[in-house]
Amino acid sequence: MSFTQVARSCGRFAAALNTVRIAKTVVQTQSRMMHRIAMPAIGSQLTQKQMFTIRNYSARNTLEEIEHRVLKVVSAYDKDSRCRWQTQSLRSYSAKPPLSLKLINERVLLVLKLYDKIDPSKLNVNSHFINDLGLDSLDHVEVIMAMEDEFGFEIPDSDAEKLLKPADIIKYVADKEDVYE
Amino acid sequence: MSTRRQAITLYRNLLRESEKLPSYNFRMYAVRKIRDTFRANKMINDFKEIDRQVANAKESLELIRRQVIIGHLYTTDKLVIEQKKTLRPSDD
Repeated sequence: MSFTQVARSCGRFAAALNTVRIAKTVVQTQSRMMHRIAMPAIGSQLTQKQMFTIRNYSARNTLEEIEHRVLKVVSAYDKDSRCRWQTQSLRSYSAKPPLSLKLINERVLLVLKLYDKIDPSKLNVNSHFINDLGLDSLDHVEVIMAMEDEFGFEIPDSDAEKLLKPADIIKYVADKEDVYE
Repeated sequence: MSTRRQAITLYRNLLRESEKLPSYNFRMYAVRKIRDTFRANKMINDFKEIDRQVANAKESLELIRRQVIIGHLYTTDKLVIEQKKTLRPSDD
């Protein structure tokens, strides 16, 4: 045997050793993985009857469960209707803020200022709608309607035609709402 | 014969009724039309003409009442311009 032959065989041996090592590690990792894979498989085999019944139950429940869950989530995130419901309940139980003569005065004058045919500079508590502010009877009807909307009650025609000054309206609203000085 | 008071009551009823129209366009048209027509005809002195106009207004009032009911049967969503802007839905 020449020296070169010995060297070659040594090299082959070393290579063979290396491959064995690699194979060993592969086998080891495979066996580890196998262990993980095998466990549930064995488990399912062992408890096949139980698993079957459990699955059957869950399959029957899933649709209902999903529907229930989805509806729950949807109702939780349906802010629009929830808030509407909240405001409605708040409104139906809430009382309106107490009126005072000053507040009525301010609100009447504000409504009149916002009416387009009245000049705000001429407006006064004692100015006559038709004589001083230059409204006609149709405008007067509209003013009274605006007051009805503002204070939330209806003013009959027989009363409406007597309300010819802002002061009259303030007095009338105060009487209706039982507001005294 | 129609009196001044009758005309004013009619004007008021027409405006009140037309405010109930659910459709924005019809509502606004009705209010404008009522106001303009009453203003345009307020100087009429001929009694026959006044009676004719009052009868016309009564007919229109019935028409608006019918349309309010029909409109509520077939409501649609409110227009964007009708929706109130609120920062929080709790304070209206």
